[in-house]
Amino acid sequence: MPEIFINGQSVQAERDQSILQAALANGFYIPNFCWHPELSIAGNCRICAVQVEGRSWAEIACNMPVVEGLRVLTDSDVVKAYRKSIMQLLTLNHPVDCGICDKAGECKLQDYHYKFNGSPSVSRDAKVHATKFHPLSQRIVLDNERCILCSRCVRFTREISKSYALGIVQRGDSSLVRCAEDHSLDADPYSDNIVDLCPVGALLSRPFLYRARVWYLKPTRSVCPGCARGCSVQIWHRKPEWKLNALDARRNVCIERVTPLENPEVNGPWICNKGRDLAQIFERPRAEQAMQKGLAVDLAAAIDSARRLVAASRHPVALVSSWGSNEELEAFKAAQGARFDCLVKQDWEPQPGEWLDDDLLIRADKNPNTAAARALFTHTYDDTRPLDADTDLVLIWGEGFDFARLPAGARTILLNSYLQPENGHADVFIPISIQTERRGHYTNFEGVVSEFEPCFAKRASVADAETLFASLFASEGIPA
Amino acid sequence: MANTKLLMTFPVTASSHMLAAYRARGGYGALEKALREMKPEQVAAEVNASGIQGRGGAAFPMGRKWAVVHPMDGQPHYLCANADEGEPGTFKDRWILEYAPHLLLESMLLAAYALQVRHAFVYIRGEFDQPYRRLAAAVEEAYAAGYFGQRILGSDFACDLVVSRGAGSYVCGEASALLSSIEGKRGYPRNRPPRLTVRGLYQKPTVVNNVETLSNIAWIVANGGAAFSKVGMAKEPGTRLISISGHIERPGVYEIEIGHPFARFIYEDCGGVLGGRALKGVIPGGISTKILTASDIGPLTLDNASLQTAGSSMGSGGMVVIAEGTCMVRLLQVLLRFYHHESCGQCTPCREGMGWLHRIIDRIVAGDGHPEDIERLYQISAWNDGTTICGMGDAAGYATSGILNKFRDEFEYYIEHKRSRCNGTLECPKSS
Amino acid sequence: MQHLIPEFEQLRKRYPATFASSLLLPCLHRIQEDRGYVADSDIDGLVEYLGVPRIQIEEVLSFYGQLRRKPVGRCHIQACRNLSCSLLGAERIVDHLSRRLGIAPGQTTADGRFTLSTVECLASCGTAPVVMVDGTYHESMTPEKIDALIEARS
Repeated sequence: MPEIFINGQSVQAERDQSILQAALANGFYIPNFCWHPELSIAGNCRICAVQVEGRSWAEIACNMPVVEGLRVLTDSDVVKAYRKSIMQLLTLNHPVDCGICDKAGECKLQDYHYKFNGSPSVSRDAKVHATKFHPLSQRIVLDNERCILCSRCVRFTREISKSYALGIVQRGDSSLVRCAEDHSLDADPYSDNIVDLCPVGALLSRPFLYRARVWYLKPTRSVCPGCARGCSVQIWHRKPEWKLNALDARRNVCIERVTPLENPEVNGPWICNKGRDLAQIFERPRAEQAMQKGLAVDLAAAIDSARRLVAASRHPVALVSSWGSNEELEAFKAAQGARFDCLVKQDWEPQPGEWLDDDLLIRADKNPNTAAARALFTHTYDDTRPLDADTDLVLIWGEGFDFARLPAGARTILLNSYLQPENGHADVFIPISIQTERRGHYTNFEGVVSEFEPCFAKRASVADAETLFASLFASEGIPA
Repeated sequence: MANTKLLMTFPVTASSHMLAAYRARGGYGALEKALREMKPEQVAAEVNASGIQGRGGAAFPMGRKWAVVHPMDGQPHYLCANADEGEPGTFKDRWILEYAPHLLLESMLLAAYALQVRHAFVYIRGEFDQPYRRLAAAVEEAYAAGYFGQRILGSDFACDLVVSRGAGSYVCGEASALLSSIEGKRGYPRNRPPRLTVRGLYQKPTVVNNVETLSNIAWIVANGGAAFSKVGMAKEPGTRLISISGHIERPGVYEIEIGHPFARFIYEDCGGVLGGRALKGVIPGGISTKILTASDIGPLTLDNASLQTAGSSMGSGGMVVIAEGTCMVRLLQVLLRFYHHESCGQCTPCREGMGWLHRIIDRIVAGDGHPEDIERLYQISAWNDGTTICGMGDAAGYATSGILNKFRDEFEYYIEHKRSRCNGTLECPKSS
Repeated sequence: MQHLIPEFEQLRKRYPATFASSLLLPCLHRIQEDRGYVADSDIDGLVEYLGVPRIQIEEVLSFYGQLRRKPVGRCHIQACRNLSCSLLGAERIVDHLSRRLGIAPGQTTADGRFTLSTVECLASCGTAPVVMVDGTYHESMTPEKIDALIEARS
């Protein structure tokens, strides 16, 4: 462990670290644009320079190896003057778009300008213009004037997602980040990570464009239910104190965007594009009304009817949701004991054209909690084989069951969150809450347990599955 | 002092570049001697003893560069001759490529033997036509004669050579950008560490040397490193090929012993300033070196130590002579346009700075200059000094600050009066 | 570019086996020599032949000044405008070319015969001013030599 000195302080560094890494790991901040812990060293932005004691100039720290006894200064006058000059150069042709740029509030260029420059431009020449609103892909728009050519996005597509979709064409100050002419960024399932990586407002998410200022939003930690990887995510929604009075109340309780939550155990700092589109899953029209054979009833009545069906059944089968949380699954097991023949259902199958699996994050199992469900209820539902003909009650929890497979004469209790025609065909239909309305945990395919927290309140007419199960089996009162 | 020649030692004829003529004057004799009698480390030792420094612009000692490579470490090593010659004012490597290509090839074989290199490259700028054809023909002759390929001259030594053409990029003359180009990518220079002799071409140890530097190796091996070190000056041995152009009576490539008097070279060897005009300035070693005035060069000799006392350097040996009456503002405009065009765009100070410098000088030339522009040009030059990935940013800064230091009053005049004090003249004005 | 593959295979033999990417620039030079420019179909062909990502080829084509994706006139005249050439009259030469051909640098004559461009230092400073015509250096140019050249190529 080599000993180095940062601002006179002794620091124990690792042998293969750069000075930048050693500094950040020990609480010394060195600004950086092009450097990223998961990407190769580019060393092109030049902002991370530090002064080696005894020398009169600054050198980049991201590519400076740790050497026993090395003494560096991160905040000397030399470094301060140097940083200011780099900021002057970076903002030389950068458009003052902050007032209309989505990145405002989470932009490194803004932050560093205030910290390290704070002065107006010394140039009396007009700014160089470049392409604005270039569609880099269907999902991402690129503003070349804002781009500082740090190459993080390019390196991401070469080193992480390996789509090789991006590059830099032309040269000098005419250089432009571009996608290959075969539009391969559209086919890169991890493309949107470059929006997070971009340290300025050059790469922006088109679905999120102009939706909201980031300081009006708060992130809630959650787990992506898109596949069995269970990436940690942040679901962004409006802070209650910043609700929009002028609009439909539903606009204040929606998912504005989804970004990764860094989790070294599961997904690192990345998620795939499906995780960005969670609104497409969670904001489908919701079932909010309990029904019996399609006739609206209130929730308590529905639960009572369901309880009677359960009590009267001889050969009941339960299709257990692989989207149920650990808590819900445990509650179901505890409540029904060995009463039901339980089969774990794969609520979601891969959609046509959907990426199946790869070496990075995506798993072929498109359900978030298959692992926990299978651990509790060993048998799986095989939808190619019919259910036993003498089944008299089928409890269907969650999506993905084909009603054509119902044995003749079997009664049905359906617990579902989303509107679908089958809801009206069930003997009893009870609407249940979704992940964003409660706290819980999923277990991913490797056994890692991750927590999600509620973003929104559920409606009163909607039940929580976890407490519902106890009610459904209450008259039984006999544990397994 | 004696004017020893080591490279330009034969009369140029229609066939003097060919294999037969080269062999007739002793060519490939050094290679035969080395493969027959010397071990690789002995060849390297002679090069080290010679004290030869790089003649591409950086003047790094060749022996020290080679010493980083461990010939017997079992890894592939590569050798690359830098024939990109893009520094404006420089055309001396071209002389070797056109008239003595076998000298380069034999020298490269000796270097490859010393460094245990199996694959060698010559990176030649894409614009060169005749030099490329002569070199390519020489390579075929050398292969046919068994100097390349397997079991060279019956020894265990094998070596293949590829002539790799550039495609129009000045920055590919920088050693790491050159290797990126050979790898089939954009000519982006690389940060150091690691040095190219540790991780170079495809991340393997690579030695990149200038064509002229390499071409001395045949003489060094034939006559010994000690003999070489006695030519020229003790701290800077050997000769230099100087390519001189601009407002000079006899432009061309000359070989001088290092330490040759500067003024004598201009006024006697090369015939003096065109049309007998007074000398306004001379850029000694390619446009990236600082310009010197007539009074500067009086006490100077053509070697780095002497030129450094005047704040300049020998650089690439590309000397450009400028006669009295030339507009230095328009001259700087030509240079800044060049640097802007050639910046690869990778790092912040150069990418933004080159365009900025160019826009300022364009404005001044168009009559829209401002007094603070001069300080701004200095400031941008300072912001590019030692802060960039490669030396191009620094080079533009040296060119700019060098010209401003010597001719500031012309710039102040142009800004104040919105026109050139010299009628904007660049072409050598006819003697009045 | 398919008809050039046998040549490329010969070229490949001189390189170490793992240097497929290094063949890109030589192949592009040869394709441009053959066709006059590099076509989109050539890019697709090289992606397959060399196994390099398409973006690499697009980057290289846009970075290097000599490579082009569009054809030029039958006679491509490139005049150096760097220091020594300027000191010896390059601006006059470019003006003369411009007036004789009726086009500005960067343009092609209406009949597709001549394209005029300016380039940076060609390392021919000793014989300035220099003009490159279809890749061949024409040194120590004068307006008279320009006229003769244009005559010969018309």
